[in-house]
Amino acid sequence: MKKFFGFFFRNNSWLLLIALSAISLGFIKMEQENVVQRLNNAGTGFRAAIASKIASYSYLIGLKNENDRLLETNIALIGRILSTENAIRNEADRTRILSQKAESLKSFTLARVVDRQFSSRENMLLIDGGRSRGIRTDMTVMTPRGLVGRVVAVSEHYAKVMPLIHIDFRASVVSSESGTMGVLAWKGGREDMATVDHVPISSSLKTGEEMLTTNFSTFAVPGLPVGRVVSIKQGALFSTVTIRLAVDFASLNHVVVVSLNRDPEKLRLLEGKIESGTGR
Amino acid sequence: MKATTFRIAALLVPVTLMQVFLMPNLSILHVSPDALAVLVGFTAISAGRNTSMLTGFIGGMLMGILTGQMGLLMLAGTIGGFMAALFQIPEECHATQSLKTRRFFLASTLCSFTSSTIMTAGLNPLALSPAYRIAVLGGIGAILTLLLAIAARVLFMKKSFAD
Repeated sequence: MKKFFGFFFRNNSWLLLIALSAISLGFIKMEQENVVQRLNNAGTGFRAAIASKIASYSYLIGLKNENDRLLETNIALIGRILSTENAIRNEADRTRILSQKAESLKSFTLARVVDRQFSSRENMLLIDGGRSRGIRTDMTVMTPRGLVGRVVAVSEHYAKVMPLIHIDFRASVVSSESGTMGVLAWKGGREDMATVDHVPISSSLKTGEEMLTTNFSTFAVPGLPVGRVVSIKQGALFSTVTIRLAVDFASLNHVVVVSLNRDPEKLRLLEGKIESGTGR
Repeated sequence: MKATTFRIAALLVPVTLMQVFLMPNLSILHVSPDALAVLVGFTAISAGRNTSMLTGFIGGMLMGILTGQMGLLMLAGTIGGFMAALFQIPEECHATQSLKTRRFFLASTLCSFTSSTIMTAGLNPLALSPAYRIAVLGGIGAILTLLLAIAARVLFMKKSFAD
């Protein structure tokens, strides 16, 4: 027994290292689960609240109100433009949007960027809109210029946004003129450039064409500008398309969060929850 | 010993807040100095291995609550604390002030490099190559942390390493 305790006493540093590492690994494993997620959300709220306070010192009240008013107007205009552009593309959509125009404009929420991290450890935006303003995870985040990213975590008054310039971000895009489709991805490097993958070499895509979000996406509203094609390099089967992003992430102050417009049946089908033949 | 441990515990929260809110403003090539590594380095020299590991662990947890990736930050802090304690000065050894200072700088730098390497192994939001992440980002982080440790030593720790 003495030897047993002697062993622990002699090796207490190593045992502590193993114990703490095991707890840390346990936390990494649990990261996806609710408890840690809730803790992270609370932390996000706290961090954003402090960042918001710090930011507000440099924010003049009069200009803020004027800015917010102009942005509200801008949002309404964007809503109309997006609705109209989509309607032109699709006759059926046009009929639906014209009949529900007032309702569709309500789904835009203005939020201010209170913190931004672009580092080797973290790449995200914090905005001052959370559950209390109807923001939910997976909602689209945009500006008048185009797509910004998607909401990945929400606390009561704040939300964390994964920007388009994140290695894990993907979105389906289509070119405005040739109708070429591809998958938008950011592969590091410059924060104003991204690539579009899975573009066949047979496509008639040309430089200068605008890339927009498609209605395939499970989170983004269709017809949202993403960027313009700056170069096309042909490979064996697919072209490597580089685009200049529409949004300037270096000077992002306000964003607009767009409500989810998911078709539950489509999501169930994508997740494989509809049995073949039954249509359930 | 108890007074030092109490002082470290009291510093843990302000240093973590400083790391989250202040240090990103001093970043170079998207890498910022690691204030927590400086505290862990100081702990390793003055309070020993177990305390430095615990400091790294709790500091990582606090940072994780504020920024996400709690588990990875806790692991990085723990192992950073363990590595920093390689430069620990035994209590019975009457080290000179300059030796303690040198070891404090080495401990902070090694802690920063180790935790940065662990973080970059687990996270890669900017899609950088592993060699670049470890050598360049880890290296720059370690150099910035060394500069921060020098600044902390000159400004706040004049009496901490008395002979």
